[in-house]
Amino acid sequence: MPYHEFNCSKCIPERKKHAVIKGPGEDLSMALPLGYLNTIPGVISERGCAYCGAKHVIGTPMKDVIHLSHGPVGCTYDTWQTKRYISDNKNFQIEYTFATDMKEKHVIFGAEKMLKQNIIEAFKAFPDIKRMTIYQTCASALIGDDMQAVADEVMEEMPEVDIFVCNSPGFGGPSQSGGHHKINIAWINQKVGTIEPKITSDYVINYVGEYNIQGDQEVMLDYFKRMGIQVLSTFTGNGSYDDLRAMHKAHLNVLECARSAEYICNELRKRYGIPRLDIDGFGFEPLSASLRKIGLFFGIEERAQAIIDEETARWKPELDWYKERLRGKKVCLWPGGSKLWHWAHVIHEEMGVEVVSVYTKFGHQGDMEKGISRCEEGALAIDDPNELEGLEAMEMLKPDVIFTGKRPGEVAKKLRVPYLNAHAYHNGPYKGFEGWVRFARDIYNAIYSPIHQLSFLDISKDEIPADKGFVTRRMLSDAGLGEDVRNSAALRQYTGRMDCIAALRKKTYPEFLPKPKPAFLEPAGAA
Amino acid sequence: MDDLTKTRMDQLVDHIMKKCLWQFHSRAWDRKDQNAGILGKTTELLCGDKPKTDTPADRCYWVDAVCLAEAYKARFEWINTLARDEIRALMKAVHERMDFLTVTGSLNAELTDQHY
Repeated sequence: MPYHEFNCSKCIPERKKHAVIKGPGEDLSMALPLGYLNTIPGVISERGCAYCGAKHVIGTPMKDVIHLSHGPVGCTYDTWQTKRYISDNKNFQIEYTFATDMKEKHVIFGAEKMLKQNIIEAFKAFPDIKRMTIYQTCASALIGDDMQAVADEVMEEMPEVDIFVCNSPGFGGPSQSGGHHKINIAWINQKVGTIEPKITSDYVINYVGEYNIQGDQEVMLDYFKRMGIQVLSTFTGNGSYDDLRAMHKAHLNVLECARSAEYICNELRKRYGIPRLDIDGFGFEPLSASLRKIGLFFGIEERAQAIIDEETARWKPELDWYKERLRGKKVCLWPGGSKLWHWAHVIHEEMGVEVVSVYTKFGHQGDMEKGISRCEEGALAIDDPNELEGLEAMEMLKPDVIFTGKRPGEVAKKLRVPYLNAHAYHNGPYKGFEGWVRFARDIYNAIYSPIHQLSFLDISKDEIPADKGFVTRRMLSDAGLGEDVRNSAALRQYTGRMDCIAALRKKTYPEFLPKPKPAFLEPAGAA
Repeated sequence: MDDLTKTRMDQLVDHIMKKCLWQFHSRAWDRKDQNAGILGKTTELLCGDKPKTDTPADRCYWVDAVCLAEAYKARFEWINTLARDEIRALMKAVHERMDFLTVTGSLNAELTDQHY
């Protein structure tokens, strides 16, 4: 697993330790890229800042909350039309975004009075919303505005409201990951334990590190409800502010994205004795194992198995239709964060694609340990790549498709590499059994798009063929397949609905007869 | 360690490194606890013993151990032919190797960082 030096980065020798190639027989004790370090000046990192990590990644998916940034209006850039952490309350949290609009005069004279005015104005503009989070920015941190004092003053004057203050200015860490840490710890210090929830089940969990990208959380919630489990809170996708104040009452923390939210899990473990179980929500086998583990924990594994059997029978023939057509395609898995390791092995095993490269923009070395362990030999692993390194890697690896964010994705298109949005998805959700088939369908559509085939023509020198007729994806994908696969009666393309979430929101769930509880299971939160 | 034992140990370790997540907690002490808790209970299950599950933490270790023991039995049929002492010796080697890969031999400089 030697370090890999990019030609474009030869003038930046520090970059050499940020990329490795996974060699045959090599393990994690032999080489691992550096990670979570200060950005090297001049490399044009694609990272976000610590404010972005706290506000845009972790905080804002909370749904019934006014999210107010105390700073310049430009800090609120990332909301509706970029983020897709939807909610079941009409997407209030991304439909509106709020900033105090700090200017030079506020930097000189202070902005606390303006902050108080803004808070009251926002609550009056949305009288049904009684909860607020206030995010510090670089500007308000540098002048030392006491946001907590202002929030306390407002809460005294308006006792019906509750306000959470998050001090995570942009410079609060090397990347957005520093902000994940700060908001996790701030939330448990300020808010957890300040409300007592209604417990409605013998089995109570917090679902942590899940942001409801295009409905991911709601898909998983459906499985948990079908098992008779009460999801006390989701940190933070589609999560309610008050539910998240009651996290201390769960029996178990189920953790999906470790590095964005393991901090709060670890604190809940230490302070309240609630154990942490890491799960995968992507892919048939990992998801099945996850549901089974949660079932085993509570002694209700037969309920998990019933879901696994039903969903596998329904969706596996559709996944396999795509697997036959995606087998051997090369993928650059460049998602930025946790999909690095959630997807690295399972897209290979369940969709047949070859992962030729993994990267993370803001991940820690621990994230890369997971990704490298799971990807295949020969894969190029890159920490915090820049645009030129990305271009060089794609020219070297020649992937058939890239899974990444929209900025590097648009760059990839210039090299005629189709891209799939790994952050916000193309047509998600991708979690769950059906979601995994939707993902396979989107990959298939990206690779075999007839329109995309045209991009391989260079109109500056290639002759435009006039003898080529109309083609479909199916004609392209099936050209090399055997008769038995092409005409298989057992396999079929995706048959789900465009919107697979709306029906879940109206669904009713069965009541389960009480079961004898395992000895360790005391009343929720009693630990 | 003889060649056969090493081959078997590598297979068991590879399975954990590729399929599991519990070995990668972010602190060195936490990884040691996870390895000891889960691999200890996996050994007991493979030997036909009944591990303790009377605390939430034990229950959590046990859950991952059940899944691991089931996977080992299904994927590596030779494990079903081993005697209890052989299983214990093999799993001890797996435990030592996991501690090396994830803790003592790990290049992850953040494992002992106070400000992780």
